[in-house]
Amino acid sequence: MVTDFCLIISYYKNKRKKGDFMDIVTILLWIITLSWFIYSIKKDKKKTFNSVKTSSKLMKNMIGEIIAILMLIGIILSFIPPEIVKKYLGDSNIVLSTIIAAIVGSITLIPAFVAFPLVGSFIDIGANIIPIVAFLTTLTMVGFVTFPLERKEFGFKFSFVRNILSFGFAIIIALLMGVFY
Amino acid sequence: MNIINRIKNNVLLFLVIVIYLLMIIFIPIKAKESFFNSLYYIKEMLMIMPVILLLTSLIDTWVPKRTIESMLGENSGIKGIVFSFLLGSFSAGPIYAAFPVCKTLFKKGANILNIVIIISAWAVIKVPMLANESKFLGIKFMLIRWILTSIAIIIMAVITSKIVKKDEIFINNKEENKEGKLILNSKYCIGCGMCARKNPEIFIMKNKKGVIIKNIEKKESNNLIEEIIDNCPAKAIEFH
Repeated sequence: MVTDFCLIISYYKNKRKKGDFMDIVTILLWIITLSWFIYSIKKDKKKTFNSVKTSSKLMKNMIGEIIAILMLIGIILSFIPPEIVKKYLGDSNIVLSTIIAAIVGSITLIPAFVAFPLVGSFIDIGANIIPIVAFLTTLTMVGFVTFPLERKEFGFKFSFVRNILSFGFAIIIALLMGVFY
Repeated sequence: MNIINRIKNNVLLFLVIVIYLLMIIFIPIKAKESFFNSLYYIKEMLMIMPVILLLTSLIDTWVPKRTIESMLGENSGIKGIVFSFLLGSFSAGPIYAAFPVCKTLFKKGANILNIVIIISAWAVIKVPMLANESKFLGIKFMLIRWILTSIAIIIMAVITSKIVKKDEIFINNKEENKEGKLILNSKYCIGCGMCARKNPEIFIMKNKKGVIIKNIEKKESNNLIEEIIDNCPAKAIEFH
């Protein structure tokens, strides 16, 4: 009972630390999207609902993965002590951790959609943003697993050049992010 | 069988559930802590998911992709760069869906510069994803990354178009078969279900992918089939 209470308290503290649930950007996004949606229904109801069905199906296909990653974040946060994250993804060893993060991002295939809360949780417990940005960028732009597909459509040279350049630029973007952010 | 298939389709979810069950049995305090840690992210996700879904639908309804596509071409220059960015940013689906789409555009005359920009923009700077990014990492983070990535994409596109020549891409390109039959390339299918909704007699959804259940020759093609081929967001349906 007492531990329950403590957990609830720490949960709300955590929540307050990051601001309210509905931050201003989200509210604006809701307002813009909803007004656009109403306009869209008035203009072309059938076309609008057809598109909604298509994107709902896409979302439904991802929902298992989304829930899994969100629950995984909880496990990560309660098992990996922040000191470890700070040590390996923190402000020391930036070059090494950035290269490793970029490699991990290249070979991982999870939707970017769930990658944001995942890396957000790492930043919350002290990870440096440079390796995080490298991971985010290679995750989506470099495709180790999808390389055979790309090669089939565009040939080896194009795919190889594009993937290598994306990897290199992911690291450059990450380092610049460290300067500007 | 059904249960096995379900597990197969959601390996990650299944693993996470097993981990949670084990934690509940052996270390219930950790299980509770993990769940409460996740709760914040779940609530944030619930806040942003419906709006992203709507935004994706609205973009799909109102962004005139055909018009944008017609702006690309061998000598499209700056205009081509801008429209490639727009096309990539307003698309839906994972990066592998961009390959057949770009191949089709390439056949229609888009240049390598255009193609690299579309693939990269499709991968990293899609509009609904930017909304999600600013939700979890902050608007400043999102904006700076967006600017840096956009610049990087242009540089990458220029370099690629200098290294790779147009005829080097056509090497393993099969001739289009005029007498072919209707096929659906499941590797590229993103499972949006559009085909199965428009013509359930030919297309069904199986394991999150579209499947063709009826043999259709090219000569049997009709307007509806052409429309489905044209509207498939991954260009995964064709006569071959």
